[in-house]
Amino acid sequence: MVVDLDGREVAVFRVDGEFLALANYCVHQGGPVCEGRLSGTLAEAPDGTLSYDHEGGVVACPWHGWEFDVRTGEALADPNYRQPTYDVVVEAGAVYVEA
Amino acid sequence: MSDSQQVRAVADVDRVVDCDAHVTEHQSDLLPYLEGPMASALRTDVDDSYGYISSFYPSAGFLTPVNTGKADATSVKTPADVREGMDLLDTDTVVLTPTQNLYLGCVQHPELAAALGRAYNAWLLDTLVDPSAGRYGACVVAPQRPAEAAAEIDDRADEPGVCAVFLPSGGVNPPLGKRQYDPIYEAAERAGLPVMMHNAAGTMLLSFPNLFQGFDRYLSSHAPVHAMQHMTHLSSMLTTGVPERFDVDFVVQEAGIGWVPYFERRFDHEYRAKREDAPILEKLPSEYLRDQFYFTSQPVEGTGDPDYVASMVELMGPDRLLFSSDYPHLDFDHSAELFRAVRSRLGPDAARGVYGETATAVFDL
Ligand code: FES
Repeated sequence: MVVDLDGREVAVFRVDGEFLALANYCVHQGGPVCEGRLSGTLAEAPDGTLSYDHEGGVVACPWHGWEFDVRTGEALADPNYRQPTYDVVVEAGAVYVEA
Repeated sequence: MSDSQQVRAVADVDRVVDCDAHVTEHQSDLLPYLEGPMASALRTDVDDSYGYISSFYPSAGFLTPVNTGKADATSVKTPADVREGMDLLDTDTVVLTPTQNLYLGCVQHPELAAALGRAYNAWLLDTLVDPSAGRYGACVVAPQRPAEAAAEIDDRADEPGVCAVFLPSGGVNPPLGKRQYDPIYEAAERAGLPVMMHNAAGTMLLSFPNLFQGFDRYLSSHAPVHAMQHMTHLSSMLTTGVPERFDVDFVVQEAGIGWVPYFERRFDHEYRAKREDAPILEKLPSEYLRDQFYFTSQPVEGTGDPDYVASMVELMGPDRLLFSSDYPHLDFDHSAELFRAVRSRLGPDAARGVYGETATAVFDL
């Protein structure tokens, strides 16, 4: 779900019962990150065996497919790029995002 | 815009032209525009999608961010679709280019290829090209049939909004310098249209590096081949994580310098969006290149322009460059060739490094 926070678009995800909030404006070129696919990602062992990791923990920006860790906002390929994250508080059944 | 006015942002440019704005032509778009025997030969009672027509265009079977659903595959088939893209990117004018027909140069059946190119142009002109709305189009031609390609250029050149010839160059074999393609260039010259060349990763795979068999001169082969082969090997080694899996240094030779800053930036740029193809990497590809790869200098290009040389060396990092002569081969460099630029622009430490200290460390001399 995308909410407007003082003019900033913030997306709120629910992953494994936990609420997470991420800026919707992609650090790459401004794409709507949080409208992208929430998925996992391929990993490779030293012997070349592929596995699928972090199911539900990765959001991909639909413009170019950059993958971000939904918890930390870090770009998986390059941690120098990080989507801003926001604290989320759940109180009495309501979900609050801290600006 | 007068020179005195400042351009602070893209919006300050009077007319922003996007020279590669793709449309996504599908089967149902092309079928109604086919002419000649192919119009009768192909079945038309099938519904919209890339459909069986897409099977005419060879593809490489890669996992891409589009088929994993991590990047959008936006459809652009109507004026409104084009407008949406222009609004999104703040452009005023577009030169429309194809998607499926990027692969046209690899269609095996030559008459079919020519017919598909013609059908695409007819559809594009009928549906999307409108100079008054800033929508120009490039006329796609099939290199498989140069005479028909030339006729197609002659036919389309005067249609309003046709502003280029589009040569789907990916995978085209033999290479585009062969005399057989001259009719295309003659027609473009006649029409006063530039020729756009556009590759597609999947197409090159079909004939690269066999394409080199079409090089019949030493110059055409020697100029690109060292850097291209290195890029090919380094792409493979980075993707499978050779420098991650092995604590080994590599010394990459005889391709000059300018491709190095280009390649490492290009690779990082791609990796950020396609990391799932190299999941074994623990850091940026350029960091592996910086930590474990050295490059020898010869044949250093552009020495007539010390600014060029110095900026390339600076961009690749002088500590990764090793002087080499290649003596006695015909294109050897004298040790003085690179020295002036490095010493005068980058200082004595860089010169000492390039000319010996780095090599002493790498080879443990
Ligand atoms: S804008 Fe988000 S991946 Fe490029």
